[in-house]
Amino acid sequence: MVLAGFAGMVDSGYVGFHSLTGLLIPCGPAGGCDQVLNSPYSHWGGVSIAWFGFAFYLAVTAAGIFGLSGFRQVFRFSLIASLAAFLVTLYLLYVQAFVLQAFCDYCLLSAFLVFVILGAHLVLRPWNRTPEPA
Amino acid sequence: MSKASSSQKQRSRARGKTGRRKKPSVAKPLAALAAAVVVALGVAFYLQRSADEQAASAPAPGSRNTGPLISPQGWSKGNSQARAVLVEFVDFQCGACAAASSRVANIARKHGSRLKIVFKHHPMQRAHGNAMIAAQAAEAAGLQFKFWEMHDLLLQRQHEWAKVPDAQTLFLRYAAELQLNPARFRRDVWSREVREKINRDILEGQMAQVKSVPAFFLNGKPIPNNRDEFEFEQSIVDGIRSLQ
Repeated sequence: MVLAGFAGMVDSGYVGFHSLTGLLIPCGPAGGCDQVLNSPYSHWGGVSIAWFGFAFYLAVTAAGIFGLSGFRQVFRFSLIASLAAFLVTLYLLYVQAFVLQAFCDYCLLSAFLVFVILGAHLVLRPWNRTPEPA
Repeated sequence: MSKASSSQKQRSRARGKTGRRKKPSVAKPLAALAAAVVVALGVAFYLQRSADEQAASAPAPGSRNTGPLISPQGWSKGNSQARAVLVEFVDFQCGACAAASSRVANIARKHGSRLKIVFKHHPMQRAHGNAMIAAQAAEAAGLQFKFWEMHDLLLQRQHEWAKVPDAQTLFLRYAAELQLNPARFRRDVWSREVREKINRDILEGQMAQVKSVPAFFLNGKPIPNNRDEFEFEQSIVDGIRSLQ
């Protein structure tokens, strides 16, 4: 979960920095990065949604680190955040597939990471686990 | 002694001398989190910078511009063979650019035989959310040989599209007014070719230290954007004279 959160911070931070410069972002096989990242759906209240994603991954990384250090209950909060992120991800996938008809590699990676993070919460149920004896 | 009381004793021994369970420390995870954030932002920033540098070092197709800071290539009007080249960096969403466009048109009319005027994009995207898509619309129109027509429309009707959430729909209407092929226009607006051309202009502007728009350069020398039409014209006329 910490690794996925960290990867998400790098991914969203990269897109976020690019949104500040406004320059062309290199795109992989999906090929629709320019169209997706410059569409009206890419900003909420004038802020690139990459930064909202960054805040989510930061929260997940924080929950992972604090949870592994004994603060198990923080995983309950990261579960709620993951559920919210999952719904937002579904909406953004819908926008890419049916509204813009273009996909962006960075967004797909982010969607994958959200699925991994939510899956890890649901499968491992880390808030229920008792800490390992020192 | 019962089993229950012995296990209770064991638990209380495990809790330590104070009789309380040791609270986990906040400092260590906080430090680890801070380190993770710094490293993640550092990696993201490094990747973004190296991608930009790669884009900047890629030569423009058909360009022989290896020496001068500002190339005389781009959409132009006036005398294409003139020695004096006025380059303007413009953001379609900037009010000052719309105001300056009439001054530039006037100069083109009066001094077009001795002057080549070159247009370069410099959308200030942090301040102007629709500036980039407007630049893309102008370039897409240019691919159907109507750059200047779209340029004029965008600046004249800036108030109409500057603040709307979906400027692209309005630009499609402008494209229809200019009798452009709508399907091609829609495709070209988001084409890599168009975006790369705009980005080359942006990088050129950054290298030329363009901090505000509109910015003017006469043969590479900055010309102040004087709002007084006469003084602005005079500074350009003086520049043309000095080159002859």
